This record gives sequence, C-alpha cells and structure tokens, in this order.
Amino acid sequence: MAKLAVRLQFVEIGVLVALALLVGRAGQVQLLEGRHLAEEARAQRTERVVLAARRGALLDRYGTALALTQETYHVGIAPNELRDPAKDGALIARRLDVSSPAWQQALRKRYAYFAGPFSALEVRPLRSVRGVHLEPVVNRFYPAPELARATIGRVGDDGRGASGLEKTLDSLLAGRSGAAVVLKDHAGREYESPARVIAGPVPGHDVVLTLDAELQEIAQRALDDALRRMDADGGDVVMLDPVTGEVLAIASRQRDGTARPSAFTDTFEPGSVAKIFAAAALLSHGRVRPTERVSGEGGTYRLPGRTVTDDDPQPSFTLADAMRLSSNIAIVKFASRLTPAEQYEGLRDFGFGAPTGIEFPAEAPGRLRPPAEWTRPSAASLAMGYELSVTPIQVAVAYAALANDGVLLQPTLIKEIRSPVGALVYRHRPEPVRRAVSPELAVRLRDLLRGVVERGTGAEAALTNFPVAAKTGTVRRVVNGRYAPGQYTASFAALFPADTPQLVLVVKIDAPHKGSYFAARTAAPVTRSMLEQALAARHVALDRARLSTPAPAPEGTAARLVDDEGGGGGGGVVPYVVPWPYHPDSAGVPHRRAVPDVTGLGLRDAVRALHRRGFRVALKGWGTAEHTWPGAGDSAAVGATVTLFASPGAPAVRTLTRRRPK
Amino acid sequence: MRLKGRHWVAVWLAAFLAVTWLVYARQTAAIRYARQLAEIRARRANLEGHRTALERRIRAADSRAVLVPRAERRLGLHQPADTEIVLLPVPELGAR
Repeated sequence: MAKLAVRLQFVEIGVLVALALLVGRAGQVQLLEGRHLAEEARAQRTERVVLAARRGALLDRYGTALALTQETYHVGIAPNELRDPAKDGALIARRLDVSSPAWQQALRKRYAYFAGPFSALEVRPLRSVRGVHLEPVVNRFYPAPELARATIGRVGDDGRGASGLEKTLDSLLAGRSGAAVVLKDHAGREYESPARVIAGPVPGHDVVLTLDAELQEIAQRALDDALRRMDADGGDVVMLDPVTGEVLAIASRQRDGTARPSAFTDTFEPGSVAKIFAAAALLSHGRVRPTERVSGEGGTYRLPGRTVTDDDPQPSFTLADAMRLSSNIAIVKFASRLTPAEQYEGLRDFGFGAPTGIEFPAEAPGRLRPPAEWTRPSAASLAMGYELSVTPIQVAVAYAALANDGVLLQPTLIKEIRSPVGALVYRHRPEPVRRAVSPELAVRLRDLLRGVVERGTGAEAALTNFPVAAKTGTVRRVVNGRYAPGQYTASFAALFPADTPQLVLVVKIDAPHKGSYFAARTAAPVTRSMLEQALAARHVALDRARLSTPAPAPEGTAARLVDDEGGGGGGGVVPYVVPWPYHPDSAGVPHRRAVPDVTGLGLRDAVRALHRRGFRVALKGWGTAEHTWPGAGDSAAVGATVTLFASPGAPAVRTLTRRRPK
Repeated sequence: MRLKGRHWVAVWLAAFLAVTWLVYARQTAAIRYARQLAEIRARRANLEGHRTALERRIRAADSRAVLVPRAERRLGLHQPADTEIVLLPVPELGAR
C-alpha cells in the first residue's frame, strides 16, 4: 500500500513538474518572446506594399501635355502554371516581343521575369492567361518625345527626376507614395483579398510651363534646318516674352543630333551682340551725342596690345552707324570714354556674369571679370563683346530688358503650379531684378537696333509689314580655351515688333561650315523664318490685335448678339449672328482680360461666356465645363486661345442666365 | 419561461453560426468587390494606354514636321512670307 502511495506521489510530482514546465514555457512564449514572435508571424502572412503616387503632369502654357504618367507593367511568368505552354507561350512571346531562344530559356526557369516596362495595350491579351503575373508600375510618358526634351529632362529608373525640369521640380511633381498591407500564403503568394491601406498615395502637383508647344516646334525645326543647311556644329534658339520674363521656346541641338541644354549651360563670347550694352552705358552717362562722329581709321585701328579691324570700313561713324554697321573701331573709340567701373557696371546691370535665376539645374553664370582683373586691351575687348562669356538665355534676358522699358526681369519656365485637384498653388508674376536703363533710354536703344535691321547688318531679318529691331554678332569660336582657327559663332538677338516688343529671339549657330559664317547671312535669316512661321501659326503667344494697325470702326456696325431661344434660327442651333466686319467684344483696350470662371456650366454656355470675353476656345472633352487653361481669373490676351476642359461626369451646378441684348 | 441548458446551447450555436456567416459573407463580398475593382482598374489602364497611344499618334500627325511637307506636296501650299500674312485690324476703343 505504502509502495502505491509513493508511486502516486511520484506521478503527482511528475505531472506538477510537467505542468510547471508547460506554464513556464507558455510564459516565455507569451510574455518574454510574445511581441517578437507576433511580429514574425505577421511578417510571414502579410506584406507591406508601396502604392506609387501619380507623378504630376507637365503642360505647356495652353494645357497641352508635355509629360504625363501612365501605368505600365513588369511581367512575371510561372511556366509550371501555364495551362497550354505551347499556345500560351507563343502568345506571350509575341506580345512581349521575346525571341524564340530567349523564350525557351525562360521556360526552363521556375519564374521568368520581363522588366519591360510594357504598356497596358501590350499586356492586355495576357491578363487572362494563367501563369502570367503583371506587376503594375507607373512610368513617365512624353506625348511628343522630342519637344523641348533638353529643357523638360527625363526621369531616372528610380522614378525621380534625373535631369532638366523633371529634376528641378521633382519635389513638386513626385507626390507621396502610400502603403498597404496584403495577406499572403506560406509560399509568399498574395491572397486574393482586399489590401488594407495604411496611407493612400498623394499625387504630385501639375506644373504649367511657360513654353508654347507651337513656338517650340517652330524653333526646333528652324534650328534643325539651319544646322543641316549650314553644316554647323550646333546651335541654340531662345524665345522670351519680354513683358513677363516667360520663356516661350528654347531649343538646342548639336551636330550629332543630341539636344544638350546648351542654351542654359554653354557659354560663348557674344561679340557684336553686346555692343548695344556699351552704347547703353555711353548714353546713360552722357558720353556721346547722337550727331557726334569718330574716325573709321581706314578700317584698322592699333591699340596697345590689340589691333581692331572693321569688315566694312567707313570714313567716320556716329553711334547709330556703329550699331548699324557693327563697327568695332567706332564702338572701341566711343567706349574709351567710359571708366572701367562704368563699363563693368553697365554690363553687370544687364545681368551678365551672374546666373539669371531661371528654374533649371546647373545654369552657367557666364564670366564678366571685375575691372581689377582687366588687362590693357580688356576695355576695348569688352566693348566689342570679347573677354565676356554669356549663355544664350542671358543674352535673351538682357535684350528683354531693352524691350521692357529698361527693367531687367528674372526669366522663368514655370507659369502655374496646380494641386492634384486643380487648385492654384502658384502663379508666376513678373519679377523685376533691377532697372538697367531708363524707359527713355530703352526707346533710344531700340531705335538704334531698329536701324540695324532697316539699313544695316541685320537686313536679312527684316519683315516688310512688321518692324524688327536686332543686332548681329560674329565671333571667333573658343574650343578648349583657345580660338579655333576658321571657326566662328554667329549670333543674332532680335526684338519683335520693334516699337512694342512682344517677343525676344536669340539665335546662335556654332561653326557654320557651308556658305557664309557671318550672323547677317546665317542667324538673321533663321530669325526671319521663325517670325514668319510664328505670325502664320494657328495660335501662338503673340497678341495679334496689337500687331495689326487699329482701324476706325464703320458706323452702325455694332455687333448684334442674338441669344434668345428662337433668335439663333435653326431651332436654336446657331447662338450668334455676327455682322461683317466682325467687332468682337475684345476690340478695345484693355487688350488683356480676365478669363471667366465657367466651372460647372454646360458646354455651350461656357463657350459662349469665353467668346463674349473675346477669347478663342479650344475644347478638350465633352459634357460639363470643369476648368480652363489659363485658369479662371488669370488674364489672357484678347484673341488668345483658352482651352476648355469638359467632362461628361461633372454635374452641372449652374447655368448662365440668358439675357436679351439691349 | 426559463431557458433550459440545451436551449442555451442552441442559442449559442445559432449565434455562433450567425457570426460565422456574417464574417463569411463579408469576406466573400470583399473578395468580389476586390475582383471587380481589379477588373475596372485593368480596363482603365487599357483605356489609358489606348488614349496614350492615340495621343502620341495625334501629336505626331499634328506636328509641323508632318503637316508642312504634306501641305506643300499635296496641296501646293507654302510657308507664307510676312507680306502674305494679313492681320485684320481691330477697331479703336469707343469707335463702336
């Protein structure tokens, strides 16, 4: 009996020890290692996925898309999951454009991966194929890939801006990625269950650039044609609105067809194009009178350390003659009346030797040495545009100051920034840097430049019906720090029209090998061609109302607006009866008007409201008006095109009250 | 009437079944909606891809590089000189 009791005690103790161990282990697992093990378990059955944010769009000044984001795909193939490897394989290989040997090699793998990226259209037939796994990835898409390529830049493999404006504006465009948790099985395959969103992706802002797609195309084509015709090494074209500082077009091209952003990054000696700034300093300090003449020295003028020559020798020159005929000798003689400080400050005031501040990465500042670093011939060289290095954009900005009544503006490539829901975040306003010259002096300088085109070296750029003011420049080309023998850079800076300029054009041609190398024969005709194309274009950033000569209105021709239900005739199909000659509401001053808010209006009412303000209308979409480019409240030139975006889904929230004209 | 033990078991069983059915129904609906969402996304991606391809073709066809040579070759048009460009003058303010 006693033996049994002892045995029972042993069993009890054993059970108790086992229970104690069990409780201890449970405590260890639950209390000590619980958190860690729970994390491990969660990691095994869940996966955190990144929800990519839509990168903001880049648009031109009229809302034409220049860069968009679209969904593309990486494709994974699990060969053992294919139902019919032969048939499915043929389809997959055809859609992914995979060669037969590569496909056979892929079939031997457990999982073949094709990075692509492949478009939605390419993978559409593969969606229903078992064993094909599509991995969506957002990608950048450029509807016109060659348009302003160097300026817009590109996005890197990591989805971040790698160059150009894509890089500068990356923080605005990128948005913020979201995150979600999905369930997966022991093999790592995702369950077909809804993901738990931790944070939704925030799309990036849309940026409206100042570029005008049509002017940009004109500039690129003109430059390409010129380089091909002249067998030149490269070139740049810059078009700028002098009143706002907005860059309308910027094109760069090298001989090999690449488009490096050389208008921002590559410097050159401007040569005679810079003579107007010496003239500005002379006139602002009162060192020269309009009728005053200097000797032409028979075409050769010897200075200590430098001999100056003229291609077109004359007995004597006024300052206007010096500009018109681009006389080196005359401008050197006139400029010798300036102190080094005055000459230096004159150039500095027009922005030379400092970056313009445009929103482009790695803009070159150029070079303008202070008087302390000058050598003996420096003053003469600077007067002729040597010993000074500038970028094409700097030349355009400096000439824009002459066009803008002497006020130097900071150039910009950004017109507007809009949030993902379309709200205005930023709108460009002209940003004055300083007054370079007085308004009266700016007018005198424009007159000097007008003489260059009417009776001087810029005659090839002259238009019959529209005055142009411009200056030519031909300089020896610097290659690797030395003047390259027989190589020249031809440049041309123009204001159009001459009296109230709306456009500044700078054309630079590097080393033209065929025909003449003078700017008068190379860059000037290119400028003329571009101006003619711009004038004939459907809608570019030129205010045609200001270009035409105002005519008196014939009596009794007031525009009659028939806007009632029956007045349009044809069952209300025709909303207007417009008498000829047509007198739009926009015929008078002011020439710029605010774009009306048409959001929520029916399409017909919205178009009518925009027409009443004197705008042309370009329609995008159908249904109810959503927004316009330029946006509501923005001012636009009368006669300019306003792009109206409409959507069938947007509910009409208001209608225009129909009024009978009095 | 007081519930007896087996009734309680039945009530609890019914409650359990109801809750289980609710969870099952929710999961089923969620998966169905997830499938629909995926299908709609795929359709949207297809349509966007289609639009993108069309946009590229339109921009290419609409470009000067294509239009100008065609207009010159087929219609005998040419790029106008400035003398051929007529801008209609607008009346002065107050003339109306």
